[in-house]
Amino acid sequence: MTATIDSEPRASVNLAVLKRAGMVGVLVAAAVVFALLKSGSGIVVWQSVVTGLLTGGLYGLIAMGLTLIFGVLDIVNFAHGAMLAVAMFISFGVVQATGLHPYLTMLVTVPALFLVGAAVHRGLLSGSGGATLENQLLITLGLSLLLENGLLMFFGAEPKNVTLPGETQFGVFGAVVSGSRLYAFLGAIALGLLLYWMLQHTRLGTAVRAVASNGPGAELVGINVRRIHTLTFAIGAACAGAAAALAVPLLSVTPTLGEQFNITAFVVVVLGGMGNVVGALVGGLLIGLVEQLTTIYLDGQSSLLGVFVVFVLVLFLRPQGLFGRRT
Amino acid sequence: MTDTATTGAAGATRATAAQAGTAPPLRPQNRQLLILAVLVLLAIPLPLILPPAQGAVAVRILIFLIMAVGWNIMSGFGGLFSFGHAAYFGLGAYTSAYLLVEHGVSPWVGMAAGMAVAAAVAMVIGYFSFRYNLKGAYFALATFAFAEMLRLVTTSTDAVNGAVGYQVPLIQGSSVWQLQFPAGSPAYFWIALVLAGLAVAVSILFRHSHAGRYVVAIRDDELAAASVGAPVMRHKLLTVALSAAITAIAGAFYTQYYLFIDPQLAFGSSVSIEAIVTAVIGGIGTIWGPVVGAVIVGSLSDVTATLLATPPEFLGFLQGRSGLDVILYAVMLILIVRLMPKGIFGTLAGKISERRRR
Amino acid sequence: MIVRKLIAAASTGLLLVTAGCGGSAPSGAAGDAAGSGSGPVRIGALHPVSGSMAVDGLQMRRGAQLAVEKINEAGGIASLGGRDVQLTTADTQGKPEIGQSEAQRLISGGAVGLVGTYQSSVSSNVSVVAERNEVPFVMDVTAADEIFQHGYRYSFRVQPGNGAIATSAAEFLTKVSEQAGKPVRKVAIMHEQTDFGTGAADAFTEAATDLGLEVAPRISYDATTASDFTSQITQVKASGADVLAVSGYYSDSLLIAQAINAVKPDLDAVWGVSNGAYDQPKFVSDAGPIGENYFSTNYHFDAQNPETRQLREEYQRRYGAPMRTGAVLAYDAVQTIAAGVEHAGSTDPVAVRNAIAKVKVDPLTVGDGPVRFGRDGENVNSAAVLMQIQNGRVKQVYPPRKAESDPDYSVAW
Repeated sequence: MTATIDSEPRASVNLAVLKRAGMVGVLVAAAVVFALLKSGSGIVVWQSVVTGLLTGGLYGLIAMGLTLIFGVLDIVNFAHGAMLAVAMFISFGVVQATGLHPYLTMLVTVPALFLVGAAVHRGLLSGSGGATLENQLLITLGLSLLLENGLLMFFGAEPKNVTLPGETQFGVFGAVVSGSRLYAFLGAIALGLLLYWMLQHTRLGTAVRAVASNGPGAELVGINVRRIHTLTFAIGAACAGAAAALAVPLLSVTPTLGEQFNITAFVVVVLGGMGNVVGALVGGLLIGLVEQLTTIYLDGQSSLLGVFVVFVLVLFLRPQGLFGRRT
Repeated sequence: MTDTATTGAAGATRATAAQAGTAPPLRPQNRQLLILAVLVLLAIPLPLILPPAQGAVAVRILIFLIMAVGWNIMSGFGGLFSFGHAAYFGLGAYTSAYLLVEHGVSPWVGMAAGMAVAAAVAMVIGYFSFRYNLKGAYFALATFAFAEMLRLVTTSTDAVNGAVGYQVPLIQGSSVWQLQFPAGSPAYFWIALVLAGLAVAVSILFRHSHAGRYVVAIRDDELAAASVGAPVMRHKLLTVALSAAITAIAGAFYTQYYLFIDPQLAFGSSVSIEAIVTAVIGGIGTIWGPVVGAVIVGSLSDVTATLLATPPEFLGFLQGRSGLDVILYAVMLILIVRLMPKGIFGTLAGKISERRRR
Repeated sequence: MIVRKLIAAASTGLLLVTAGCGGSAPSGAAGDAAGSGSGPVRIGALHPVSGSMAVDGLQMRRGAQLAVEKINEAGGIASLGGRDVQLTTADTQGKPEIGQSEAQRLISGGAVGLVGTYQSSVSSNVSVVAERNEVPFVMDVTAADEIFQHGYRYSFRVQPGNGAIATSAAEFLTKVSEQAGKPVRKVAIMHEQTDFGTGAADAFTEAATDLGLEVAPRISYDATTASDFTSQITQVKASGADVLAVSGYYSDSLLIAQAINAVKPDLDAVWGVSNGAYDQPKFVSDAGPIGENYFSTNYHFDAQNPETRQLREEYQRRYGAPMRTGAVLAYDAVQTIAAGVEHAGSTDPVAVRNAIAKVKVDPLTVGDGPVRFGRDGENVNSAAVLMQIQNGRVKQVYPPRKAESDPDYSVAW
């Protein structure tokens, strides 16, 4: 997306990105120091940093799908969290029915969500009814309510748990990390890189980027824009499917968990810059950090509050996010 | 839009009618006010006719109505999509609850205070959002964030009783000043009817006033409106303040009717969603849309609850499950946005006026 | 184009029609059975049988139903000539407004008393309805203590409240740790941030501080969004506390147990306070060996009472799942109302209320004696019991006269 469009000379783009990365780095360092002062314990802060970064990788993967959808189709997909919840239920169902390893359920959830995404786009969002922003917001809102309550009606709300076979703990310089969280992080990074590679180095990816940067222009050179739109939405949904398989051993699966991830995904997308895939990954790591550090700064407040504060600051001060361009 | 056309035509008709010596047709504003008066009069005997369970549904419908009218002013007339209207509902509810429980202030005064607080907060949020040029999805997300932040902060602040919330102290007998009556009393419905009637009246007057027309012009094309001299910021702030104040009325009344409020009931996202769904299903940007929407959505929960408790044979698998009412209005929302974007009322009204013109 | 409009119009028309039919929910003749001579005596049960609390709600409704059956088997209400008791049920859906309107509906349908509701916010609303309609409301499961500070005359509660449980938890902790030769000095407490967890934490902190303990750090969290507790447990580990107290719901308590297993802090014991997980068989199966030796202070069915054992066996036979304490409390609550009707010799709710205020009922849950209500409506003989997970089973371990086995004051790692 924007990070790959060469509308400015390479050198100055790199410099700007470096400057911004530097600023972010400084802010993060300051936040960590402040946390150290507030809690007085290095090990506690280190543990928060480690947990935050690892959880953030997963947020990044979920947000990558969302930002892709926004960058290419200009659609704000409110149903992203609900689709994630659906994928988690699929994953749970498969594990229960066949005893398959939770990560292997990705083989089911990714294609399933791909199809769901394609169907949703073709059925609900393409064409005249889905054109205006308000309509998209409303349709995807309706869809998220539908999916969530459908899950509630058919599966009930009792939390369901899946344990990772061979769960172990790892020590990381004194911080403790559960295996499932580490693998989820590594999986998220790997898939993110895979997505990035696909966008940069395959014909499909180039077509997607072309449509993102100039829809009519892409049509003129013979790209089937409508098909690309549907494909992109489907790929975005598939990202959620992959994230679900990685996340399922970490949480209790309930119909409403989509809501909490939805909010976080939107904050990450705005932070990273709508449409910027790398930004989404970096944003995810940062939000993961913010979440953990909030529990140190604001004792007794929900970690979500810190996330919202960052959200509001970004919306007002730099709405194009860290890596987006000012429109 | 059609408004200037009809007023122009009406003006011409009035002129010719005055010449001919016959009574002129009503201006749209007065026609709508008349319809409102008729509806209110028709609704008065309802609590005396309906069985008690349905009486409660009727009050619920009126509360939804007020919320939807408030939302519609900002998001329908003003085009400023709000995904966090629970913020204003909750501020109305909490302000009146706090003043009543901690300081013994009458709920009416509390309601007025709630309206003021909600309007002030809306103007602050609005001012910063407009100054920083937040639009569309960004603006909607910002409103959502503010509502959630209010919920989280209220949950952990002991000064407003944190997560426990407030219970309205019971009094013996009835009192209009304290806004409390025996359980199931029709007075609740009548007071809610008056409040709802006032809300719709305000929305009618606003829509047809100079300010209202500026607001619609700004919604349709902000740049053009600014270029002909419409004071944009002032009118946008007025819109959000009015919208918030009306929604706060619903919150304050809710607290008095259910005698209980907590952060989830006040600021939860389901409140925001109900405001949106009600207005959109009925007809966003119209006067009567919120009314129609409220009747449909308000009664939906009751219908589905009955259905789920004692389902007919072929729907037996539904027994004991929950979420059906939300599924139904989610499906309706999607269908209506896709197929009847002007909502039920908007589409019907459009067809009627089409037929009349032929 | 026309087809689309037709479809949309038809579906909305259909909905309006169903609204018309479904809307006329049977409300029953207002208060007919109450006072009239021969129909069954109706007791209303309000529980969340749909939504997120459905499993517990359904358990409690079944517990209430079993109580009604036992009463009828024993000959019904003798003082009214052997009239049968009937349970009228309602689904609160876990929402206070629904709870309120359903309570109103049950009262209009002739209920002489109500039991319920599992959630404090719903119970708050129902207690208001009960007070205004002058119908007694006996709460089976409701944690919050605030309801009993309003001076309501028609609200009663069988279970020990948040404050009582937390105070017992602090007492038990000092006694058991002393007995084991490792007297506790510093307790860390983690609690979820709504009124349930905060209430328990406040009461525990007060009681523990009065007993000379240091309570720090105090960590609260949002149960709906927290997905990992390693940072918080690391905080606990770094603080040097001897014991970790936990007041949370099921899912978060399970995550906390997993985090404890990951971080392995140097604790003498894990001490659940009104905890939603640590005395549940489901926790034992979900957590497995990592939950071993966890303590929990809570209300509990009396495992030593043979009648309780019989009841639970009956429940297991019928429904294929172990009967939870909530269901046994619902059983006790219904028995209490029936005893009130029996002593009043009438179905007039005011008379029933007055009888309930003086009645004594033997409970199947742990208590210091029969269920008996004080001026404020609280059960003066309600008691919490200390339990521990030993060898994959939940055992009552303290006080000694209610203990099935001795407490093992240690942790499993």
